[in-house]
Amino acid sequence: MIRGFRSIHPFVLFVYYVYIITSLMLYQHPFFLLTALCLVVYVHVLLDRGEQLKRWIWMLVLMSIFIFILTPFFNRRGNHVLFYLFDNPVMLEAVIQGVMIALTLMCILAVFITFNIVMTSDKFLFIVSKWFPKWGMLIMLSMRFVPLLRKRLQDIEQVQQVKGVSLRQGTVRQRAKNGMLLMQILLTFSLEESIQSGDSMTARGYGLQKRSKYHPYEMTHRDWALGFVMTVFFGIILYGWWLEDGVLALLPALEPIWLSGREWFFYAIWFMFIGIPIFVEGREVLKWKYYQQKM
Amino acid sequence: MISLVIIIFICLIGFPLINVKYYLLLSIVIMVASFLPFVVRFSKQQITSRELVMLAILGAIAAVSRVPFASIPSVQPTTFVIIVAAIVLGPQSGFVIGVTAAIVSNLFLGQGPWTPWQMYAWGMIGLFAGIMRNTWVMRSKVGKCTFGFVVGFLFGWFMNLWIVVGVIQEINWKTIILYNSTSFYFDLAHALSNVFFLLLFSKTWIKILERFKQKYGLFE
Amino acid sequence: MEILSTENVTFRYPGSPQYVLEDINFSIHKGDFAILCGPSGSGKSTLLRMFKQELLPHGECSGSFFYKGNSLQDMDRLTVAKEIGMVFQDPDNQIVMEHVMDELLFGMENMGYPTDVMRRKVAEMVHFFGLQDLLETRTDELSGGQKQLINLASVLLLDPNILLLDEPTAQLDPIAAKEFIHLLKRLNDEFGITILIVEHRLEELFSLANRVILLDKGRLVFDTSPRDAVSHMYTSMRHFLPSAALVYLDHSEERRQEKIPLSVREAKKWVVNANLSFVQKKEKLLPEQEPFVELRKIDYQYSKHSEPVLKNLSFSVNRGEWMSLVGANGTGKTTVLKLIGGLLKPQHGYIKYSGRKVKQIDQEEIGYLPQNPKTFFLHDTLFDEYRQIAKANQKNVEAIDSLVRKFQLRELLTRHPYDLSGGEMQKAALVGILLGEPSLLLVDEPTKGMDPDFKAEFGELMQELVNEGLTVIMVTHDIEFAAHYSTRCSMIFRGDITVSEQTQSFFRENTYYTTAINRITREGSGLSPVTLEEAMLLLQKNGI
Repeated sequence: MIRGFRSIHPFVLFVYYVYIITSLMLYQHPFFLLTALCLVVYVHVLLDRGEQLKRWIWMLVLMSIFIFILTPFFNRRGNHVLFYLFDNPVMLEAVIQGVMIALTLMCILAVFITFNIVMTSDKFLFIVSKWFPKWGMLIMLSMRFVPLLRKRLQDIEQVQQVKGVSLRQGTVRQRAKNGMLLMQILLTFSLEESIQSGDSMTARGYGLQKRSKYHPYEMTHRDWALGFVMTVFFGIILYGWWLEDGVLALLPALEPIWLSGREWFFYAIWFMFIGIPIFVEGREVLKWKYYQQKM
Repeated sequence: MISLVIIIFICLIGFPLINVKYYLLLSIVIMVASFLPFVVRFSKQQITSRELVMLAILGAIAAVSRVPFASIPSVQPTTFVIIVAAIVLGPQSGFVIGVTAAIVSNLFLGQGPWTPWQMYAWGMIGLFAGIMRNTWVMRSKVGKCTFGFVVGFLFGWFMNLWIVVGVIQEINWKTIILYNSTSFYFDLAHALSNVFFLLLFSKTWIKILERFKQKYGLFE
Repeated sequence: MEILSTENVTFRYPGSPQYVLEDINFSIHKGDFAILCGPSGSGKSTLLRMFKQELLPHGECSGSFFYKGNSLQDMDRLTVAKEIGMVFQDPDNQIVMEHVMDELLFGMENMGYPTDVMRRKVAEMVHFFGLQDLLETRTDELSGGQKQLINLASVLLLDPNILLLDEPTAQLDPIAAKEFIHLLKRLNDEFGITILIVEHRLEELFSLANRVILLDKGRLVFDTSPRDAVSHMYTSMRHFLPSAALVYLDHSEERRQEKIPLSVREAKKWVVNANLSFVQKKEKLLPEQEPFVELRKIDYQYSKHSEPVLKNLSFSVNRGEWMSLVGANGTGKTTVLKLIGGLLKPQHGYIKYSGRKVKQIDQEEIGYLPQNPKTFFLHDTLFDEYRQIAKANQKNVEAIDSLVRKFQLRELLTRHPYDLSGGEMQKAALVGILLGEPSLLLVDEPTKGMDPDFKAEFGELMQELVNEGLTVIMVTHDIEFAAHYSTRCSMIFRGDITVSEQTQSFFRENTYYTTAINRITREGSGLSPVTLEEAMLLLQKNGI
């Protein structure tokens, strides 16, 4: 049984991810972004004890460091010179911007990794099929063929290796050529076989009329409520961005990094908005504990 | 006709947006507007089961084609497969195969912010290869290879844009060039491998696809 | 009541003078279990497809088809899709969805059923087939038998009145095939679903069906009861018949049609009642030879955390031998073949070749005939293919020529390999392999999907090669084929060879894993025969 954040209706999930990615791109403030990063990491811990995050962490960190170092090179505007590197001034503003860009990147990538955990391919395809049925069918077919083609490719590789077409020996040119020869067999072979797939679809009445769609997911009250709440939050966040409360002004003058006044309100909303998965997961844990106590 | 309306529409919204420097929004509007018509057109296209399966197989082959080249860094013939398929099956199908290849390979390797950009890039490569299939560009070997080379770089540059536009949000030539120079060797490898594959294999692959298309009377 | 019938159906491909089907008239009644059989190229699959008008190949077609008395051409296509279900040969190609559940839903979604109806029907089907544990599985992780089961279930969910099956068990191993056939019988018995099946593998089918329709060269030869069909086919199509019937017809003096046994049970009854005793004609004796390929203490596992596939396996093959490797699915038969072929490296143990310890046998000494010959061909025509192989092996055109003549492939040389029939393709691949002059041939499930006539031809060809000195190691599920041709049989069980014996004694010692003829005759005195050809009736001198 799937529980918690994963069990939310795919539509609501999808909308949430659109909201959160947009928000992360709009809000450029180290304080906000750092909070977001912490929350997203915690979501990872709740979802799968950070297993997936661990697999990607090096790419994440390397890309962020890379961006962080690169930013001061193309950004020379600012009022505070920190030091000179090869006769080029390195600005405080540029460094702050580098931090923000690196944080944004990390947040977005980390959020996408949760997306891959939560939005499994069947949920993703459910949404696609709902809006674009034919595209959904095409992608599902393609997804089904990928493992089949891989297996065939492996067979082809072994048969051809005995014949002397090897991927392991030879120059790069020769290996690339051999690889392509294998793909060529795979193409001819699979096209020929695909006729039967098409026929089996036709035999079961595909294409005669508009298809119906099996709905494995149901919109519950919880899903509606959640959708409503996140939309309200997102609206407020957009408004905050319009007011430039979630954006750290670097020019013409550097704004103090510490939050002040109205910004605290938006910070609270931001915190709750990014923390929605934590809330959903936590609620499940509490419910479960309560249930066990009652037993 | 519809696309003309859309282009005018983009200009009307686009120019004010450039002034305000909402590059992200602008690029999304442009992408969606130039992408959606073909998406919708496929949805409305009359197509048999066999044809649909053929598109799916080609999309899957483009996605799987990375596997035998795992030992050779940044060489993968996905772009080649899309171009060749588009030459035989035309712009609309080329577009569909490109988009499918992007979605499918990302569904297996993990989605990221690059997914929509990749869909767009490969979709457009398929579209343009298909549009030019009856011109000298796609007829001659030199033309095909040039197309493959140019497209290899454009693809890389376009994929850099998601970071520039989505994350850095500072759009000027300096930034773009800086980013493109960091990925120069990857893009070069992509471009050269496209040329290599097109030079050696495009003839056979086109023949295989043509033969199959005719044998079963598909896409007529 | 007639459910399906044809009237003067004729068909030919455009531009071809030859008719694929000529003047076919027959009808199927409600509740029938009918077999449509005939040699390859007799037009039986084409005929079957004609009942699904959408699948009709491009060509000239005349005559009419009727479903429940109405012309099929005029019927609502949705009704036809729903009421006439079809299952095809290849289990993999028919599956179009990634997960079992979606595959089951596919047809119903096409019919536009609402969610609650679909849920209920799937629940029913899951009960009938016992699919509970498979619903969430990915379709590519299923075994061949399970895949075919899912294909059948997906069709049955549309509530068909008649099932058309196009060689549904050709790609399955014998056990899965039997299960599938018996499931069809159950559907026929318990729900009255009419069944029309095209099949080569008739060993079981004859005792289950009530009608046999034979096509030959596009013409309907007869449409009759199984027993009658057996007596008609005895002389001309011997290879198609079950061993039970053949042993009776070969050796019984009365040959009464109504007494022809169709199953092992019936044949055994006949043997016991008539108090007959069969013996092996003569024991084939193999001279003791020095081993050619030896595997010693081999351990193999695919990954660090998976169960080892082979454990301390030792195995040897003599020069000039035709060795059959048999055993259940997943016991490591194919792994052994791949280790010998150098496609996998053992983690422990060593291989000896011609008495010398080697890391890997020189790949030029090895030929590998894959299960699916389509994986073999690289070029557009057979001739191109052979020329390239010959070039790589420094052979001249004469070498190609002599092999092609020997295998009777001359007319096919200019054809695209994929346009050949399954059997021709297998032969064509074999020629390609032999051009490299291997001394050891590895063969993986060669008889899968072959029709019985071609199977015999292929067996004879291989036999000839072995007589000329080729050593063959063959992995197979086909007991009858192994019994007929191989010199020795080895059985793999849990990663090791449990027995390795001369073919005759191997099958004679087995009780369950043995040929039908051996099961029929094993109670007699003396050495019971393993193949039909070697069975000899012992004359009972001291009659009772």
